[in-house]
Amino acid sequence: MNAIECDNLSRSFGSVRAVRELTFTVSTGSFFALLGPNGAGKTTLLKTLRNLIRPSGGRATVLGRDSTRLDACDFRRIGYVADGQDMPDWMTVGQLNAYCRPLYPTWDRDLEGRLMTVFDLPADRPLRKLSRGMAMKAALITNLAFRPELMILDEPFSGLDPLVRDDFIQGLLELPGDDRPRTVVVSSHDIDEVERLADDVGFLADGRLLVHEPADALRGRFRTVEIVGPGLAGPSPGGPPAAWLEVGRPAENVMRLVHGAFTPASEAELGASFPGCRVTARAMSLREIFLVLARRHQTASVEEAA
Amino acid sequence: MLPFEVVFRAGEPVYEQVMYAVKRAVATGQLAAGSRFPAVRALSQELRINPNTAHKIVAALTAEGVLLVHPGIGTVVAHPAAGSVEDRAALLNEELERLVVEARRLGLDEEKVTAAVRRHWRKFPKTP
Repeated sequence: MNAIECDNLSRSFGSVRAVRELTFTVSTGSFFALLGPNGAGKTTLLKTLRNLIRPSGGRATVLGRDSTRLDACDFRRIGYVADGQDMPDWMTVGQLNAYCRPLYPTWDRDLEGRLMTVFDLPADRPLRKLSRGMAMKAALITNLAFRPELMILDEPFSGLDPLVRDDFIQGLLELPGDDRPRTVVVSSHDIDEVERLADDVGFLADGRLLVHEPADALRGRFRTVEIVGPGLAGPSPGGPPAAWLEVGRPAENVMRLVHGAFTPASEAELGASFPGCRVTARAMSLREIFLVLARRHQTASVEEAA
Repeated sequence: MLPFEVVFRAGEPVYEQVMYAVKRAVATGQLAAGSRFPAVRALSQELRINPNTAHKIVAALTAEGVLLVHPGIGTVVAHPAAGSVEDRAALLNEELERLVVEARRLGLDEEKVTAAVRRHWRKFPKTP
């Protein structure tokens, strides 16, 4: 079962194609991290999933419903927190909770109370007098307390100090209940924030999804490889294999590359192709992998434009 | 608070890092046989890791016999693997081979490797 299904989903603003023919799914119960640089189309995509924006082409199905048909009834099952979202800032934190409570049949008062304590929010303070981090926490409470089946978070961590961020993550981890699976979609331009949480990661650039796979699979297939030895030949006639990225020769007897299709057998294979050389493969963090992907995308775009 | 510590390193799967931390805590005696092991939810929240990953970790540790599930009571740390010493030694074959391969690659000789193993061995409490 999929919480989200996008089929050729596109959205343009004038001549700007913010989201281009996206086809992908997010399975129910998974934590999906949507990564990409600023301006990649993350916010447009997430707003489309929450029916704040209509697609210009294709379609998105959210919790089994066409995104353009999502209504108040569906929004009782979908949480949405975005950086800088509008809030009734004349209300106090307590009034906001009281206002939201009757809107959701599934509202969990215990969870609301627990989150107020964990987040250390003053119930009697007006929202307009909250710091940015506190306002985000107030918004998160009203979206976590009804235990949504799908939680959509658009850049929730940006500008939060590490302590607030940690509270925020702790709050998110309160979400899974014992009754039914909860799906979380988080966009971020900083992978470190979600590395320990994500089941699956998507990398969006210029409105296209360049990569979409389990985080562990991605970490498994990428390695920085260093080949050191006197017997390194010049460039091979056919050029390097397609899975080799950023091949460099920092010194006469050293070759360094990023291997994008590494398997347990690769090290031995490389050893056999470079007799007399020492081959070392090092695992990469998701951050390093995404930098490689982003650089490759940039190069490809420049070549395409030329 | 968890009865063991995980110092996360970037680039390595969370799953493997936690599995290793638990096994290490069992080997050092920090996690004693029969003591309670945290529930999936507590594991996820304390370590700030994905609940699906926490679930996978507890399931794998149970399958490997590191943990025992007592229905209605909870999960506890198992007594060291039953079975013959040979059976248990077989479990380490792959790790030992890796160690030897790595040591040869680095140009260490047999003496140096066994000395290093001995040094690490002595850091842990004596087994009965």
